[in-house]
Amino acid sequence: MKILIADDEMLSRRLLEKTLLKAGYEVLAVQNGTAAVAELCKVDGPRLALLDWEMPEMDGPAVCREVRKKTDSGYVYMILLTSKGLKTDVVAGLESGADDYLTKPFDAEELKARMRTGQRILDLEGRLVEAREHMRFQATHDSLTSLLNRGVIMDLLGREISRSRRERIPTAIILCDVDHFKAINDSHGHRIGDEVLREVARRLLAAVRSYDYVGRYGGEEFLVILNNCDALSAPGRAEAMRKAISDIPIKTDAGPFTVTTSIGVHQTENWGFRSVETLLHEVDAALYAAKAAGRNCVRFVESATAAGSGDLPLKQPAETLS
Amino acid sequence: MSATMSSSILNLTDLMQRVDDDRELLAELFFIFKTVFPAHLERLSGAIDRDETGQVESESHALKGMLLNLSAPRAAVAASTLEQMGRDRHSDGMKPAFAELQSEVEAVLSQINQYAIDPQT
Repeated sequence: MKILIADDEMLSRRLLEKTLLKAGYEVLAVQNGTAAVAELCKVDGPRLALLDWEMPEMDGPAVCREVRKKTDSGYVYMILLTSKGLKTDVVAGLESGADDYLTKPFDAEELKARMRTGQRILDLEGRLVEAREHMRFQATHDSLTSLLNRGVIMDLLGREISRSRRERIPTAIILCDVDHFKAINDSHGHRIGDEVLREVARRLLAAVRSYDYVGRYGGEEFLVILNNCDALSAPGRAEAMRKAISDIPIKTDAGPFTVTTSIGVHQTENWGFRSVETLLHEVDAALYAAKAAGRNCVRFVESATAAGSGDLPLKQPAETLS
Repeated sequence: MSATMSSSILNLTDLMQRVDDDRELLAELFFIFKTVFPAHLERLSGAIDRDETGQVESESHALKGMLLNLSAPRAAVAASTLEQMGRDRHSDGMKPAFAELQSEVEAVLSQINQYAIDPQT
């Protein structure tokens, strides 16, 4: 573990440095508080620090206060080194954000024991952060496919539609349904069906860019939001997704399956100012048009003006149909 | 420890424990002390002459830290006395206190030099 030592006094700094090096730590030594703050606020900076109380420019408690202001990275465990013996000084040091203090001249064994305490606290913090991230992932992702779950993808859809309108950025919504999925489940069981869904999800995710969103919308339905995707490129992107699923059979424990998908696409220029629900209804209609056209193909919502008429016009670009 | 090395001037047992019996590190610390202390003493003397009590406090504090790390209790007490005078802005007794500190530091240096000649002391 990397430790920062901040001490303007050379003899003390060298003694601390050597003691901690011998104890197996990686040591970074600086001469003043300003340099200490700069190092401790780096993303990959030391997480354990020994700070002399009295330093020029910025003293130990001021360093603690500055470091505690940052909230965007991991916790830094800070120990103040002081020859101040008064309780009021100790309280002031701890109030500044220090975790512990050590009296000068330090005892090597005590110093090492305090370092181990700091490490235990940091390890605990690491485990808590890990658990929190795991819970956050579970709360936002589908447990089978690890894609964004329905709640999150719907939330993102609302936000992306608003952003697209506000910033006039072209966006496309894609709804994708696995063809004859029920037959796979019925013939080979849900375990094989799950394998197919996982692979479809993986291929969809591989077919989009890092800033696009893919979520599991329902049982075998997937919702994709393509950011900054205009009317010219959307057909090609949708077709690439369809081919990513159908071109290579999916290997399962029950053997390989050729799986196809039907895809509905809705593009920004057709959105108007209709609600998210209406847009989803329209793209769903496009998806069912693809099913009606024999499956394994892409259909587009054509016009906004016809929305709500109950007779949704669909365009059929020849190059995207199979 | 020989009779000539007084533990109240330089407590070598305590110091060896602090450096984990690392004689190379000990020599390095002695070298650092011999290199940096004259400048501290000079700045301290100047601060006393100019009656800059804040500077007296900080220079004495730095010297005290070094002397404590070197397990030199008597000199550390002398530095601490000056530090307190600086903090309390008591300029009156600073010159004799500084003379006392100088004398103690010289004793420390003498023992350090003695150690350099005969590390077994």
